[in-house]
Amino acid sequence: MKLEEFSDIIHRCFRCGYCKFTYDYADFNCPSYKNFRFETFSTGGRMWLIYALMNNEINWSQRLANILYSCTTCGNCMENCRFDKFNDFLVDIIEIARIEAVKNGFCPEKQKSLLERTLNPEFYNPYGELNSDNQLLKEQYALPETAEWVYFIGCTSNYRQKDLRDATLRFLKKTNINFTLIDEHCCTSPLIRTGQTESVKEIMEYNIDQIKATRAQKVVTSCAGCCRTLKVDFQKHDIDMDVEVYHTSELVNELLEKGKIKFGSNFNKTITYHDPCHLGRHMGLYEIPREVINKIPCVELNEMKRNRENSWCCGAGGGVKIGYPDWAVNVSKERLEEAKKTGADMVVSTCPFCKTNLKDANENFDMDLEIIDLIEIIDSLELKLD
Amino acid sequence: MNSSEILKKLQQIVGNDFVSNSQEELYIYSIDPGASEPRSIDFVVMPENEEQIQKIVNLANKEKIPIIPMGGGLTLSGLVIPVNGGIVLDMKRLNRILEIDETNRYAKIEAGVSAGQLFSHLEKNYPNLEVSIPDAPPSVTIAGNTLIHGSGFLSQKYGNHGDMLNGLELVLPNGEICRVGSCAVSDHWFTRGPIPDFIGLFTSSFGTMGIATKLSIKLYPKPKMRDLVFGIYKQPELSTQLIWKVTQTELAEDILLGVQGKPDWMAGYVFIITYITGKNQEELDKKEKKLKRIYRKNGARYMKAPPRIREVFLEKPQFAAKAADFRKGGGFEYVGSFFPLSQTNEAIKRGIKISEKYGIIPTLGARVIDRAHNVMVFFSYSFNRADPDDMQNARNALHDTNVMSLELGGIPWKGELGAQKLILEKMDPNYKYLLETIRNQLDPNRIMNPGNWEVK
Repeated sequence: MKLEEFSDIIHRCFRCGYCKFTYDYADFNCPSYKNFRFETFSTGGRMWLIYALMNNEINWSQRLANILYSCTTCGNCMENCRFDKFNDFLVDIIEIARIEAVKNGFCPEKQKSLLERTLNPEFYNPYGELNSDNQLLKEQYALPETAEWVYFIGCTSNYRQKDLRDATLRFLKKTNINFTLIDEHCCTSPLIRTGQTESVKEIMEYNIDQIKATRAQKVVTSCAGCCRTLKVDFQKHDIDMDVEVYHTSELVNELLEKGKIKFGSNFNKTITYHDPCHLGRHMGLYEIPREVINKIPCVELNEMKRNRENSWCCGAGGGVKIGYPDWAVNVSKERLEEAKKTGADMVVSTCPFCKTNLKDANENFDMDLEIIDLIEIIDSLELKLD
Repeated sequence: MNSSEILKKLQQIVGNDFVSNSQEELYIYSIDPGASEPRSIDFVVMPENEEQIQKIVNLANKEKIPIIPMGGGLTLSGLVIPVNGGIVLDMKRLNRILEIDETNRYAKIEAGVSAGQLFSHLEKNYPNLEVSIPDAPPSVTIAGNTLIHGSGFLSQKYGNHGDMLNGLELVLPNGEICRVGSCAVSDHWFTRGPIPDFIGLFTSSFGTMGIATKLSIKLYPKPKMRDLVFGIYKQPELSTQLIWKVTQTELAEDILLGVQGKPDWMAGYVFIITYITGKNQEELDKKEKKLKRIYRKNGARYMKAPPRIREVFLEKPQFAAKAADFRKGGGFEYVGSFFPLSQTNEAIKRGIKISEKYGIIPTLGARVIDRAHNVMVFFSYSFNRADPDDMQNARNALHDTNVMSLELGGIPWKGELGAQKLILEKMDPNYKYLLETIRNQLDPNRIMNPGNWEVK
């Protein structure tokens, strides 16, 4: 997509500022505006700047790139902007402006490394880790070459949050899901979010070919970012999917609903749930993870003040974790402070990237909380199969 | 001192992160969503406290650089866009709610506190108290709105927001801190007098007299229940009498009139919304019954408000920005003029004609202020920012409306430069002398938002 495709609507932004706030206006809920405070760092400011750029009223600059790249793409603006048929496109417009930044040579250096590593045949992932073709895992878990399901692990789970990956693998085995793994490359989320889209379709096609080779009809992923990319961005890039995509929380919920599994042990903890932006505001999956949590015996779920559509972002998304590492962790610190107020000793999420950033804040600021993914809790429980 | 030396000085005062002379900030702060032409800026600065503001004012005096204090930046009439360049002082980092005095019913806040923030704070922590907030986006600041004589949903009962100010703390153009109101004498920021009342000097003067950093605003008892009584009538000339009758009952918390060419069913009608409050449904029903009778006797027809209208008009803060989207073009400005009640009929009639002349769907209305001692009639013109002809059309309509308002004995509110010029042309010469003398005395270097209210 090109910015020109939005030329009929981009100037609709009135800069009224609803995009900055929580639902009740008590606080700012746009991470970048809350931190940088100039109007330029609000979504309204960005819309006006992009419009000015389209009209040649301003030029590309490092500052402009900085303003565009400091958006976590959390989608709070889309929730709070009141202008229908415009609000849905706010994050898209910012992401497309980033494509223009890349084309004009203004992609920040740190974000560039995401592409360099992902295209490197030794890595195929934004972390620069040697590519795992997942053969060892397939052997370890005795996974077949063809199966009904593919577990798309995602780079963060495979290279940074292996506990989450392993918990998912164990859960899938325990529940007798007929699944396998593929030699996956990055889902392309980091590239799309940072405007480095030139090779995206090719990588998507590679991944979909790998999935199709397994004859799977369904893909499950434990990553909110991968899930959004597979469900939304693949379609946008005209990828012939022909497979159903599930987030792990959706799969667990479906198994519980159909009575195929039951929890056979208790989880005596007070927890709070952090909505990943890519799962929540981007795909509307708020209740399913909560439904799963509420079916866990003895768990106490205390909601944070900002939850569901009104959630505070963890601060990692949109390339912010790599671009602004210190600030990103500060955003998570604010989330953990809010979590503490609930009386919970455990913060549960459904995204390895949120987990990474929340964990970093937990350690950096001695917050003394446990950060865990929902699938790790599920894996720790005794499961009764129908 | 050259520009880069001034930048360094400003960075020393507020820190590198909160001063900018980059094209991005200069662009965004040089233009607002109204119809004013963009004007150039030299620096945007976001101070955190009064001490920093004092230092900036001292620097501006030394270097003779204009300073333009800015709240939410949503006056729509370009009041915080510099006329002669200079420093835009974005006040939104001064955003602490300092005190809610429940007994004496006031809120003491910093100048960057938004209407949404204070509204939300009271809702959560002081459910028996409320503040009159404007029909504006929640990002507007209380200070900005009160200091331009804004109005809101309690203005019918208690006056415009400028009247609700108990006191101010300011950085004067000479860099000194000054308190006005009871806080000049007492620790309690509870009222304006009984001392010479200088608060008025800082309202509607658009930052030409000083920079407000703190203020006290009145809070009011919050009713248990609120509802609205909706009515429509065909002839705008019934408005004055109808408002007079409704205000005579003392039943109205707020009264709004509206004329909208869209949706189609509203075209050709004036609608009236009277807000009523009460302890229980029975009380509301009694008030509604009485108002229905008054509507009927004065040529208006009661109409059960459609659910969408109820939802829109009972929401606090009201989603006023919707009017800015009529043309789907992100541009919106209105003349809101203060009129004596007696001129309301004519103002509405002429306003409709101006809209028709410029091919703009009529969107105007009125808020009754202080038991109809003042009626703020607003004439809105939304436009497409992407269409320069449409913007010019809106500017022409605004000019005609300003002229019409003054002809009818009204006064354009928060007027843009063109409106200020028209007002000054009509102003008593000795008022102008007084204004100029005070301003010269306070601000001999003319650093405070120069170009606004320029007598000479």
